[in-house]
Amino acid sequence: MDLNLNRADYLQVGVTSQKTMKLLPASRHRATQKVVIGDHDGVVMCFGMKKGEAVAVFKTLPGQKIARLELGGVLNTPQEKIFVAAGSEIRGFTKRGKQFLSFETNLTESIKAMHISGSDLFLSASYIYNHYCDCKDQHYYLSGDKINDVICLPVERLPSITPVLACQDRVLRVLQGSDVMYETEVPGPPTVLALHNGNGGNSGEDLLFGTSDGKLGLIQITTSKPIHKWEIRNEKKLGGILCVDSFDIVGDGVKDLLVGRDDGVVQVYSFDNTNEPVLRFDQMLSESVTSIQGGCVGKEGYDEIVVSTYSGWVTGLTTEPMHKESGPGEEVKINQEMQNKISNLRSELEHLQYKVLQEREKYQQSSQSSKAKSAVPSFSVNDKFTLNKDDASYSLILEVQTAIDNVLIQSDVPIDLLDVDKNSAVVSFSSCDSESNDNFLLATYRCQANTTRLELKLDAMIDARKLLKKKKKIRSIEGQYGTLQAYVTPRIQPKTCQVRQYLIKPLSLHQRTHFIDHDRPMNTLTLTGQFSFAEVHSWVVFCLPEVPEKPPAGECVTFYFQNTFLDTQLESTYRKGEGVFKSDNISTISILKDVLSKEATKRKINLNISYEINEVSVKHTLKLIHPKLEYQLLLAKKVQLIDALKELQVHEGNTNFLIPEYRCILEEADHLQEEYKKQPAHLERLYGMITDLFIDKFKFKGTNVKTKVPLLLEILDSYDQNTLIAFFEAA
Amino acid sequence: MLLPVFTLKLRHKISPRMVAIGRYDGIHPCLAAATQAGKVFIHNPHTRSQHVSASRVFQSPLESDVSLLNINQAVSCLTAGVLNPELGYDALLVGTQTNLLAYDVYNNSDLFYREVADGANAIVLGTLGDISSPLAIIGGNCALQGFDHEGNDLFWTVTGDNVHSLALCDFDGDGKKELLVGSEDFDIRVFKEDEIIAEMTETEIITSLCSMYGSRFGYALSNGTVGVYDKTARYWRIKSKNHAMSIHAFDLNSDGVCELITGWSNGKVDARSDRTGEVIFKDNFSSAVAGVLEGDYRMDGHTQLICCSVDGEIRGYLPGTAEMRGNLMDTSIEQDLVRELSQKKQNLLLELRNYEENAKAELSPLNEADGPRGVIPANTKLHTALSVSLGHETQPAHVELCISTSNDTIIRAVLIFAEGIFLGESHVVHPSIHSLSSSIRIPVTPPKDVPVDLHLKTFVGYRSSTQFHVFELTRQLPRFSMYALTAPHAATEPLSYVNFILAERAQRVVIWLNQNFLLPEDTNIQNAPFQVCFTSLRNGGQLYIKIKLSGEITVNTDDIDLAGDIIQSMASFFAIEDLQVEADFPVYFEELRKVLIKVDEYHSVHQKLSAEMADNSNLIRSLLVRAEDARLMRDMKTMKNRYMELYDLNKDLLNGYKIRCNNHTELLGNLKAVNQAIQRAGRLRGGKPKGAEA
Repeated sequence: MDLNLNRADYLQVGVTSQKTMKLLPASRHRATQKVVIGDHDGVVMCFGMKKGEAVAVFKTLPGQKIARLELGGVLNTPQEKIFVAAGSEIRGFTKRGKQFLSFETNLTESIKAMHISGSDLFLSASYIYNHYCDCKDQHYYLSGDKINDVICLPVERLPSITPVLACQDRVLRVLQGSDVMYETEVPGPPTVLALHNGNGGNSGEDLLFGTSDGKLGLIQITTSKPIHKWEIRNEKKLGGILCVDSFDIVGDGVKDLLVGRDDGVVQVYSFDNTNEPVLRFDQMLSESVTSIQGGCVGKEGYDEIVVSTYSGWVTGLTTEPMHKESGPGEEVKINQEMQNKISNLRSELEHLQYKVLQEREKYQQSSQSSKAKSAVPSFSVNDKFTLNKDDASYSLILEVQTAIDNVLIQSDVPIDLLDVDKNSAVVSFSSCDSESNDNFLLATYRCQANTTRLELKLDAMIDARKLLKKKKKIRSIEGQYGTLQAYVTPRIQPKTCQVRQYLIKPLSLHQRTHFIDHDRPMNTLTLTGQFSFAEVHSWVVFCLPEVPEKPPAGECVTFYFQNTFLDTQLESTYRKGEGVFKSDNISTISILKDVLSKEATKRKINLNISYEINEVSVKHTLKLIHPKLEYQLLLAKKVQLIDALKELQVHEGNTNFLIPEYRCILEEADHLQEEYKKQPAHLERLYGMITDLFIDKFKFKGTNVKTKVPLLLEILDSYDQNTLIAFFEAA
Repeated sequence: MLLPVFTLKLRHKISPRMVAIGRYDGIHPCLAAATQAGKVFIHNPHTRSQHVSASRVFQSPLESDVSLLNINQAVSCLTAGVLNPELGYDALLVGTQTNLLAYDVYNNSDLFYREVADGANAIVLGTLGDISSPLAIIGGNCALQGFDHEGNDLFWTVTGDNVHSLALCDFDGDGKKELLVGSEDFDIRVFKEDEIIAEMTETEIITSLCSMYGSRFGYALSNGTVGVYDKTARYWRIKSKNHAMSIHAFDLNSDGVCELITGWSNGKVDARSDRTGEVIFKDNFSSAVAGVLEGDYRMDGHTQLICCSVDGEIRGYLPGTAEMRGNLMDTSIEQDLVRELSQKKQNLLLELRNYEENAKAELSPLNEADGPRGVIPANTKLHTALSVSLGHETQPAHVELCISTSNDTIIRAVLIFAEGIFLGESHVVHPSIHSLSSSIRIPVTPPKDVPVDLHLKTFVGYRSSTQFHVFELTRQLPRFSMYALTAPHAATEPLSYVNFILAERAQRVVIWLNQNFLLPEDTNIQNAPFQVCFTSLRNGGQLYIKIKLSGEITVNTDDIDLAGDIIQSMASFFAIEDLQVEADFPVYFEELRKVLIKVDEYHSVHQKLSAEMADNSNLIRSLLVRAEDARLMRDMKTMKNRYMELYDLNKDLLNGYKIRCNNHTELLGNLKAVNQAIQRAGRLRGGKPKGAEA
C-alpha cells in the first residue's frame, strides 16, 4: 500500500444520485479536465479548477431530479456530449452547455438507469427496459424484478448489440433484441455494472459488477454462456457498491479498479500478474460515494480520483503532495489561495445570513395570520434497510444531506438495538409505557455535530428463555412481523422531521435462490379458495423478502427461497385459487400458516388450509443445525476458558504443564475471541430455532408442549445430538 | 500529526483506573498497575532487576523487567507519590475493599498496612488544606479518611454516598488544596478540610475527577459525559456513547494551558481544549484505555503523556513543538474550515429555499393533499402546562405535563430530553395511530428533588403526514414538583421539625414557594402569618411550612432529606451566609438508634465468626498432618477418613464465609446509614456552618 492520496474538496452541489458525475475528456494528456455533475434539483453543472477555485463553465436551471448522467458522442471520437436522465426525459448538452437534445421517452415510470453508445440509447425504469437508436424505439423488455443498472457490451468491438441488465433478484440478464439470451446468478443484488478497463477487457466481453451487499466480481459475457472470472467477497462488512471506474492511478501501466461504496469507503484495487485484484488503497469519506472517476482536475500533471458524495460534495483524492518540497514561498502561496477561498466563503455566508434573517422574520410574521399555512421543508433521506445474513440482524442506514439532530426509532415488533462502532450518536432507550400503544421499542439517537450518516443495527431475535415469561405468543427468530419507524430530524430551520417506515417480514431470514435440493423430506402447506393471482402474490410479498412487488407475468409462478441461517429451503408455487408451499423446516410452514390465515381473515377471504407433515423432516432439520450448534458450543467453551488460562500463565510463567488442548486455546486466544465477538448471540439463536421447531412440531399434532420447553432448554445446556433427537421423538 | 515517541506492549492486563507512575527509588520512574488475580505489577525498564524473592514481590515469569506484587485481594484503587518527604522517594499505595497498604518498593517493605472498614474505592495523594504532611486520602462507603506516612488517621469525614472519585484542587484560590469528592448520589462536593464549601449536582455517578489548573477541574460521569468546571460553574461538557475510563490534565500543544485528556472505553484517547472542549488531538488503541498519566518515562528530561490500555499497551507522547502551532491532527485546519463553512452555506441555502417554498405554498388554500406533506396552519401554537396529579388506581400520583395544539392538528410524538429523571437521557411518547389527538398528557415522576429542564420536541402534523413540524421548547420542572398542595389536618402534622428565623418579608417567601413548588393557579397566599401544607406524591408524607409574624419559619416533615433540601434551597434563594436552626427528628433518630444497635450486633457477630474461623484453621492444620501421617503409614482407610473430614470442614468454612460475607454487607449498609445521618444533619444548617458539626 504505497499509494498516498491527499484529499481536496472542490465544491458542493445538491444531493446526487448514483452515477451522476463525469469528467470531460482532456484536450491533451494529463491536462486538467472539467467536471460535469447533475443533482436532485435538476441542475447540471460543469466546472473546472483554477488556482484552487471552482470556476463554472455552465450551469443549467433547476428542473426534475437527475437520475443519471453519461457522456456520449460519435463512436471513436472523444465522448464529450453530456446526456442526463431526468424523469422520463433525456436531455443532451454540448460541453459548452448548449442543449442540443430533448427527448421525451413517454415511459410511464421515471428513468432509473441509462447507457449511451454512439447513437444507441439504453434506458431502464423500474421494471421496463427500452432500447432506442437515434431516438427511435427499437427493443423492449419487461423484467421480473427491479432493474438497477443497464449496460451494453462495446458495439464497436463485438458483432452484435448485447445489453446486460442488473436485476434486484441477484441476476444479470443478457439480452438480444427484446429477448433474454440467458441469465446468470451473481452473489448479491447487483447495483452497478461497468466495462472492465473501460472497454470490456481483452475480449471486449468482460463485465464488472458490484452488489448492494458489497461484493465485486468480473464476468465474461460470451455469446453462449457466462464465465465467472473472479469475485471479491465483502469480509470486512463494508457498504454496498454504488460506482466503479477503471483508471491507472498507481501508474504501473495497468488500469486499476476504483470503487465507491455507500458507507463512504473509496478503494483502489490493482491487478497482479494473474489478473487477480489486490487492494492497494482505501479511504473513508463520511458519506455515500455516488460517483467515481479517475482523471486530472485539481492540478495539471497530477492524477487523481474524483468522487461525488450523496450530499453533493465533489472531492479529489490526488497524488499531488500536500506540502511542497520546494521553497517556503510556494507554501505561502497555497495558503494565500486557501485564505482567499475562506474569506470569500465568509463574506458569502454573511450575505446569506442576513437574507435568512429577513426571511425568518417574514416566516414568523406569517404565523400571526390565521389564513396562512406553514409547509414543511422537504429534505431527502437516503436510507437502506437490509438484513445481515451472518448474524440475522437488520442494519438501517440513514443519510441526510445536512447534519442530523436526532432520530427516533419506534417499533411495534419486539426488537433490540445493538451497538455499532461507527455510530457515535448517544442512544437512549425510553420505557414503553404499555403495549396498548403498540410500542415495543422507543429509542432516541442524539447525534454529534456534523453527523450526516447514521448506521443502526437491530436485532429482531428474542431469547428463547425470555420467551417463556411472556404471556403473548411471540416467536423467537422468524415469524414476528410489523413495522419499524424512524423519525429523522435534521439540524435545519424550520425544524421538521420525516418518518420512514420499514417492514419486518415474517420470514425475513429467507433469501431468493434459483436452485433447491428436491431430495429433502418436505412438509407441504396447500391453500385453496376464492382468491386472485394478485392477492396470493401480495401475501407472498408480505411474508418473504426479495419478491418483486408487481405480480409476475403468467398464470402460475414458482419462487425458491433459502433460509440463510439454517440452510433450510422453501418452494412456493401459486396461481389463481391455489398456493402450495413446501419446506423441509416445519417452523417455516407453521409461520406461513399463521400469517396467511390471519391475512386472509383480515380481507374476509375464505381459505382452505391443508397441510402434510413429514416427521422425518424434523430430524433432518436437527441434523442441519447440529454442526453449527456444535461449533458454537465448542467456541463458547473455549472462550470461557481463556481468562482463567491466561491467569494461570501469568502465575506459572509457562504453559508446559497444560494439556495440548489448553495450550492451543491460549495460542489462538485472540482469534477465538474475535470470532466470538462477531456472533455474540449465535448460540441463543440456534436454541431459539430448536425451541420453535419443537413447539411447531407438536402444534401440528394439536398438542401444546410449552410446559416441556424448560426441559428442552435443560437438554440443550448439555447438548448431545442423540439425546435431543430422542427427546423430540419421545415428547 | 503527533506520533507516540514510544510504544510498549506488556503481557499483563491492566485494571482500569488502577495505574500510577512513581519514582520508587527516587530516580527511575516506574509504572505500577493492578492486574488480574489480586496482583500489582511494577514495570521497571531502567534497571535490570536484582533478583529479589521476598514474600510479596516476585519476578514476573512473562517479562524480565516486570515484577509482581501479591495483594491476594481484588485491588480497588492504586496510586503512587511522596508520602514521607524525608524518604526522598515515592511510595506505592494500594487499596482494597478492606485494607490500605502503603508500600516501599525500593526497600521491599510495608510503610503501613491499615484496615479500613469503609473500603477504598478511590485514592488521592497530596497535601490537604493546612495539614502539613502529605496524606493518602481514600474514599469509601460514604466516608473519607486521610493517612500520613505512619498510618496515622489525620483526617476523617463523611459524605452523602459511596465515593467514586477524588481529586485535590485549589478550588477557592487560597493557595491551599481542597478535596473534590465525586459520589454515587451524582454530587461533586468540595471539602475544605472537613467543611463542605460547595456542592454541584451532576446527572450520573462521577467516575473521575482531575485538577486542571487554578480552580478549574475536569470530571467524567458513568454515562459517557466529560467536562470541565471552573469553581461551581460548568465550562463545557460533551457526551459520548462510550465511557470515559480515565481523565488527566496535560499540556499537549505546548500553549501553557493544560488540555483535558480522556481515555475512552472504546480505546480512543482525545485531548480537548479546557475552554471549549474542542478536540485538538486523538488517537486509538485496540482495546479500552485503562489509564492516562504523565511522567518522564524515557528519562530525557521531557515529560510525556502516557496512555495505557487494558491489554497492556503503553504509548508515550511528547507535547507538540512550537512549529506545529498546535496543529496535532493530520487533516489541515483550512480544509476542515472550508468544509464547515460550505456546510453552513448549504444549510442556509436550504433554509432559504424552505422559506421560498413555504411562501409558494402559503398562497394556495389548505387542501386534502397537504396532509401527507405535513402542511399545517401557520398560526398553530403549542401549549404546555405542568400540574400535579394525585393519581388513581391504575396510576400512582405524578406530575402531569399536558401538551396541546391550538387547532385540529395532531401530536404524533413527543420527545423529552432531560437529565436525571428518566432511565436514559430521553423519554418518548408515541401514541398508537388509532389514538392520535391534539393533546397529550405525560406523567413525569422525578426521583429526586432537583430542578430539571425539560427540553421538549413535539412532532405536529396530521394523521396521514409523513413529514412533521418539530416544535422545540423548554420547560423547567421546579425542585419540589412532587409535592401537592393539600388542606392542612392538624392530626397528621409531622412531629419532626426544623425551626429558624428568616429576616425576609413574607412576600419573598411566597415567591420562593411559587418558584419551587407546582402551586395551582388560583392559589392566593395572604400575608404572614400563614401556613401551607403539602403531601409528597412519593410516599404520602406531609410537609408543613409555617411562617409567623416574627419571621420565624417552621418546617414540619418526617423526611430529614426533604428538610435539608428545603433549607438549602431557601438559603441559596435568600443568599443566606449563615443560618442557625433548631431541629428535632424523633422518628429518624429512633431509627438511627436502632441502626447503631444493629451495627454493634454485626460487629460482635463478625468477631465471633472470625474466632470460629481461626479455630477451624487450627483444626485443618491438625487434620492435614494426621491425614499425611496416615498416608505415610500406608493406612489408607484412616487417610481417606481424614480427608473426608477435611472436605466437610472445608464446606463448613465456605458456608461460614458466606455468612461472614452477608454479615459484612449488612454491616456496610448500616454504616452507610450512620454516615449519611451525619451528612443529613449537616445539611439542615444553612451557609457556612454546613458540615462543621461532622
